[in-house]
Amino acid sequence: MKKLIAALVAMALLACGCALAEAETTDITVILDYIPNTNHTGMYVALDRGYYAEEGLNVQIIEPTEGATNTLVAVGKGQFGVAYQEDITMAHSLEEPLPIRAIAALIQHNTSGLVSWKGKNITSVKDFEGKTYAGWGGPGEEAVLRAVMEAEGLDFSKLNMVISDGNFAALEKDVDIMWFFEAWDMITCELNGFELNYLPVRELDERLDYYTPVIITNEDMIANHPDVVARFLKATRRGYMDAMADPDGCAAVLNKYAPDYTLEMLERSQEYLADKYMEDTDRWGEMKRSVWDNYTEFMLEYNLIPEMIDADLLYTNEFLPEAE
Amino acid sequence: MHPFPACAKAHAGFALLRSDRQVFSGLNMNRRSLYPALAMAALIVLWEILVRALGVPSYVLPAPTQVLKALYTDRAALLAHSAVTVGEALGGMGISLVCAILLGILMDASEGVKACVYPVLVVTQTVPMIVLSPILILYLGFGAAPKILTVVLMCFFPVVVSFADGMAQVDPNYVNLIRSYGGSALQVYTQVKIPYALPALFSGLKVAATYSISGAVVGEWVASQSGIGYYLLRVKNSYALDKMFASVLVIIALSLMMNGLIWIISRICLPYLNRKRGGNKK
Repeated sequence: MKKLIAALVAMALLACGCALAEAETTDITVILDYIPNTNHTGMYVALDRGYYAEEGLNVQIIEPTEGATNTLVAVGKGQFGVAYQEDITMAHSLEEPLPIRAIAALIQHNTSGLVSWKGKNITSVKDFEGKTYAGWGGPGEEAVLRAVMEAEGLDFSKLNMVISDGNFAALEKDVDIMWFFEAWDMITCELNGFELNYLPVRELDERLDYYTPVIITNEDMIANHPDVVARFLKATRRGYMDAMADPDGCAAVLNKYAPDYTLEMLERSQEYLADKYMEDTDRWGEMKRSVWDNYTEFMLEYNLIPEMIDADLLYTNEFLPEAE
Repeated sequence: MHPFPACAKAHAGFALLRSDRQVFSGLNMNRRSLYPALAMAALIVLWEILVRALGVPSYVLPAPTQVLKALYTDRAALLAHSAVTVGEALGGMGISLVCAILLGILMDASEGVKACVYPVLVVTQTVPMIVLSPILILYLGFGAAPKILTVVLMCFFPVVVSFADGMAQVDPNYVNLIRSYGGSALQVYTQVKIPYALPALFSGLKVAATYSISGAVVGEWVASQSGIGYYLLRVKNSYALDKMFASVLVIIALSLMMNGLIWIISRICLPYLNRKRGGNKK
């Protein structure tokens, strides 16, 4: 009987202890934009090395249903998410705007561009007429292609636009042009010995040097839990600092959470991104108003949005940790 | 007097019910379509009330009135994209029908063919589209071909299976009768087996018709530059949920139309189905 009482008391104490510990940590759900990749490494490192735990955050990183991240963060199903400047601007142009804001840029410059198979010898936008572009049906895609072609005095209607989820192998066949991320798709091609011609979009039009990807949160978090947002970014920054200092080590960490990729691929991608996360900035995650305004103006010019949107509604640097 | 009054009442009730059914069969028909219509309308009204009462944001779930508005304002685009999708669905259905008739006869004529082909057919129904899509793009490009093939992959199976089953269920005495009069194998099919299997074939076609539009939409998701599936992807990427739901309404309407089309054709090809019904009424 004594033993039983002792056991019960011990269990009760344990339960109290757990409850106390729970009160100190905050449950956080981060919703990615896509399958886990090297854009996300810093967050996985912060999770794996306990940086989030040190900030009292119990973080869970989940992959999204396609295209639902912004909506899920807007309604509070996740506190943080990974998104793109284009989508955030688009989401703010609705009659009922999504209450989301960017709080940190994961990569300072747009590292994406238009690619073609080397064998087709498409070396500049001048070669685009009569070709086929395969994309994902994003709102800004058509505008970007129209803009870069018209800047060269070309007829955009002569570019055949299709939506397709095919992979790079299609570039050898009916598809001529696709939009790739340097750190991911292009390294996949490289490892497969598939040679590409690459035109970085930011070199085609400086307004296209927008932030992709960024971390977002919702207005409820900004208004009611600013400390959580700041702690989350503090720990996240540490993860990305590690990724910059030790690309290969952090690629191995990512590989634990994304085991379907070869370590070689992740290392190559990580090495490429190491100096891109903080290119041209001293403070991790910082965003420039001019970058937001430029692309909003671009979207307005091409009728993607009905009116100009104040950049303050789209992003904030206020939660970023100071540079050390 | 009936020894069991309650039973007598029940009998009278049954009699009444039966005569009711005969006299008011028109009313029953109305009920059959009235009840689901009422239930559907009630659901839509409930949806509207809930969305408004709970203040659900339109980027989560648009109200039916918003969807109808989007359907109206975007009607020109929806119509143009629908035409493309319907064309693909009809093309796929046509190919499915021709192939199903040929393969169905082969399967019926030879157990060997049936044993070889049937498992393959089942397998085609289990391969997820996401696996096939890169291959479809590589070899068929972006025209109508990959969408039509997707429709065929989804529609061929129910048609061939129901047609082959229909022929397998022909009373062997009929076949023997034709044979005993010296009928050829061809005559066995044209005189007995195919006519007998037609109702089964049409059942299969009705199932296939319902799938055909979704099949074309899935094909458009693989690679496209027009069609309802293409429209759906574009508006989804722009957070235009009202337009997305509007395109779903269009998909539903088109699927029902395809189903109705098969029903009309079946009534034309099999007029005895109408006669049977008329006979019942008398």
